Amino acid sequence: MKSDVGVAVAEHPSEGLPLFQRLRSLESSREIVLTICFVLILFLFAITALVSRLYHKKVHSLGDEWFSKGEAALRAGQVKAALDDYRNALVYSPNNSVFQLHLAQALAAAGRLDEAASYLTNLLAESPGNGELNLELARIAVRKNQIVDAMRYYQSAIYGVWESDPLVRRWNVRRELVEYLLGHGDVNDAQPEAIALAQEVPAGDLDRQRTAGEFLLRAGLWDRAREEFQSVLKFDSRDAEALAGAGTALYQVQRYPEALLYFNRLPHEKRVEPQIANMIENARAIVSANPWAAGLSAEERARRTSDALMAAVARMSDCAHEHGESLSETPAVSDFQNFYATSQDMARDWSERNLTLHPDRIDAAMALVFQIEDATAQRCGEPTSGIDNALRVIEQLREKALS
Amino acid sequence: MSEVVSPPPLSQAPPPEPIPEPVRGIHIVLRRWTRQIFTGSEDRLFLFLAILIGIFSGLAVVCFRVAIEWTQFAVLGSTLAPTAPRVFLAPAICGLAIALLAIKVFPRSRGSGVNQTKAAVYVLNGYIPFRTVIGKFIVCALAIGSGQSLGPEDPSLQMGAGIASAIGRALRLSQKKIRLIAPVGAAAGLAAAFNAPISAVVFVIEEVIGTWSAGVLGAIVLSAVSSVVTMRWFLGNDSLFRVPPIQLAHPAELLAYVVLGIIGGLISLVFLKWLAYARPRVQQLPTWTRYLQPAVAGLFVGLIGIKLPQVMGAGYAVIDQALHGQFTWKLLIILALVKIVATGISFLSGTPGGMFAPALFIGAMLGSAVGAMEHHFFPQLTVTTATFAIVGMGTFFAGFLRVPITSLFMVVELSGNYSAALPVMVSSLIAYVISRKLQEVPLFDMLTRQDGLLLPSIEERREQVSLIAEDAMQVDTAIVADASEPVSLLATRIAKLPDSPLLIRMRAGEWRIPTREDIIRIAADHAGTHNAGDVPSKGPLPMVFPDESLEEVLRWAGDWPYLPVVNRGDLGKLEGVLSLADVLRAFRRAAEE
Repeated sequence: MKSDVGVAVAEHPSEGLPLFQRLRSLESSREIVLTICFVLILFLFAITALVSRLYHKKVHSLGDEWFSKGEAALRAGQVKAALDDYRNALVYSPNNSVFQLHLAQALAAAGRLDEAASYLTNLLAESPGNGELNLELARIAVRKNQIVDAMRYYQSAIYGVWESDPLVRRWNVRRELVEYLLGHGDVNDAQPEAIALAQEVPAGDLDRQRTAGEFLLRAGLWDRAREEFQSVLKFDSRDAEALAGAGTALYQVQRYPEALLYFNRLPHEKRVEPQIANMIENARAIVSANPWAAGLSAEERARRTSDALMAAVARMSDCAHEHGESLSETPAVSDFQNFYATSQDMARDWSERNLTLHPDRIDAAMALVFQIEDATAQRCGEPTSGIDNALRVIEQLREKALS
Repeated sequence: MSEVVSPPPLSQAPPPEPIPEPVRGIHIVLRRWTRQIFTGSEDRLFLFLAILIGIFSGLAVVCFRVAIEWTQFAVLGSTLAPTAPRVFLAPAICGLAIALLAIKVFPRSRGSGVNQTKAAVYVLNGYIPFRTVIGKFIVCALAIGSGQSLGPEDPSLQMGAGIASAIGRALRLSQKKIRLIAPVGAAAGLAAAFNAPISAVVFVIEEVIGTWSAGVLGAIVLSAVSSVVTMRWFLGNDSLFRVPPIQLAHPAELLAYVVLGIIGGLISLVFLKWLAYARPRVQQLPTWTRYLQPAVAGLFVGLIGIKLPQVMGAGYAVIDQALHGQFTWKLLIILALVKIVATGISFLSGTPGGMFAPALFIGAMLGSAVGAMEHHFFPQLTVTTATFAIVGMGTFFAGFLRVPITSLFMVVELSGNYSAALPVMVSSLIAYVISRKLQEVPLFDMLTRQDGLLLPSIEERREQVSLIAEDAMQVDTAIVADASEPVSLLATRIAKLPDSPLLIRMRAGEWRIPTREDIIRIAADHAGTHNAGDVPSKGPLPMVFPDESLEEVLRWAGDWPYLPVVNRGDLGKLEGVLSLADVLRAFRRAAEE
């Protein structure tokens, strides 16, 4: 028979022939060539499988070897060598996400932020919810001062997938975010994150509660901060950090007597820290100068009013002197001269003795004190410490109480 | 031609021996199965062979890639930056071995492989000796593995074609089919090497065959797919590079790709011009120098590699790094330019190896450099350098190899992202036009012409204008009569226009030619009773449509004095008439133009 492909093929050429002769008759026929092809394919498949297996084994071992070298170099602080080693590792395992991540981290450590970001973005495209990748990208965005990107990546990291300790890792990311926002002066964005940070602290984890309290303090969330520190103090009433934090929170909301209660429980070494010492000094000054404080005797109120008047006039005199102004000038022209004249005119009525006898005069006397302090502050600046500072705060407290 | 294989006469046959049962079962299945294939058409066998060729090519390419890697481990070590003595000496020492093998043992293994395959198709009727496949495998693995700046894709293409040719010959296919089977194998080899079947299919059609023949296309696609599947079976699904996410954020960014297109076009032109200038001069050197040329090229490449090891070998790992923004724009420009030098030296030395990978390398570096520079000067641009790198690959590919459609598919396939299609279309078109305008002959055609072969230029063929019936037909010259028209009236009309072609429209789609004499005779004898349809006429005539090619029209034009050119929407509407003289006149006019 002649096939339509141009080659003559005998029809059933080997019917009834012995096997050897049949094979001979098939010689050069397509059947035999195709059979050989199939046998060859099977053979080559086996060979190729063996070769590729050996190749993959070699490639994987090379990848791991270079990666280990990279890790060792990075641990030894040799970032450049680590970069080369990681790159070599990636040649043999180009899709290994761990290798890529470590290379990106090494690149970021070397300050090559764009390159690091490129690798991380590539990885992120494959697993957009990966917490670690988002965190690394957030850190790069922070270093590149790209606030919007940083926020986005931090948020993705917080709600992303973490392979181990997801709660702890997410909490740490949020802490980093709050730290970044506060460092960047973005208090408005920091506040909800700080609240969430505090809410996610497991009960009894005092370290993290203290940390959350610190962030709440820095975010200006005084009441939340106080609550956080107070809950620490329930577990450890002598915790210095918590005492200082609670005292600070109360101080910031002008609850000075309560703040002093916490400050007074602080150990000496903590109390002498400049910031705390300053708050203690101010709080004490305010508490000891306030004539309207609860539970004072009439004599004490009168004494405090009298002291306040003297302190205010003294500061005004100093201020006037600085500006070359004479307070005793008549007729009085300036505010200072008027205030001074009034204080002189009322000196008898507002004497300590008369104020004790007539406590209703205290308000008027203190009103003059506040006017003098306001005018002095306008001309010579706000007082920073001492009784004048206390009087300024007392004025605010009084206004708040009356309103 | 093949011989008739006839069975020996039964009378002379010895008594049949009993066949064991399992052997008989296999035998019957095999016979039934092969009969199904062989008793079908040759096209069916051809498609079946395409799959077979794809599998063989895939296996060959897997082994080829592994061989290159192992050679590299052995010669240069496993690091991206080998030690200086290795870099300097390895390519040179291997170059000596390459020269000996390429000249003495495998003389047909020289060159990239693309034009050799094309020559095999057009000159040798698809004949590629299997020895060439083995030679290509060994010599290219040694060359690329030792750091010569060449790639494995073109050799894979030739290996695939060689395997296909060997199978075709073993199966004693017709000469026509053997000529066609080589490109089928070429597509399989390239697809497996590139891990990009569509690009491979398009490249083979665009560069090797030059026509979109449906029969071959099916076989090419099958072979490409089966080879890629085979390759992925062993080496995995990963593409050659890890492409970061890319996107076109704003249409204005296309302007940046215009710049890339111009730069890519000019640089590819420089590379082409250099090869065109230097190759004949290198070929004119004394014959004995051919033994040293690969070694000298190896020394040059090694010398470059001491400072810039990135340019050695195919460079896929370096392209990957460029895609991830690992280089500064200054280094990217240096790498692109130095790679041109290194690749040119390696190629001119006659070291077997391909130009695809170097073209991709140069394109990626150029693209990244342009992207990084544009970022530097226009920081508001949102495009990543990776996008520029991937578009740069397509751009340089289009400019250098002059395969714009392949470039487009390649970028889309490699990036796995259609967002890159628009930028690469803009950029590669510009590069292609620049290259086409300033270098008339494309690379592969130039190489074959320098070797004394005048193969058909696919680019020239692609750009040839095909003449259609509309270009040749006479308009408004014919006298058309409906079948119902009184013959006396028709006789009056033809008397006024004695030289015009004459057609009778029997009904829509049926046209006939009467003779003037018959019309005049019948008009004289039966003026009142007969119509035009009653006049004896020749027909029905084959119809021609205005958009039909003149090559097609030539098949019938000689059989009739003229043919009606009718409207495709209304077969009764005459657009014009066409005679053999009109067709020949149109061809002559086109040739003169």
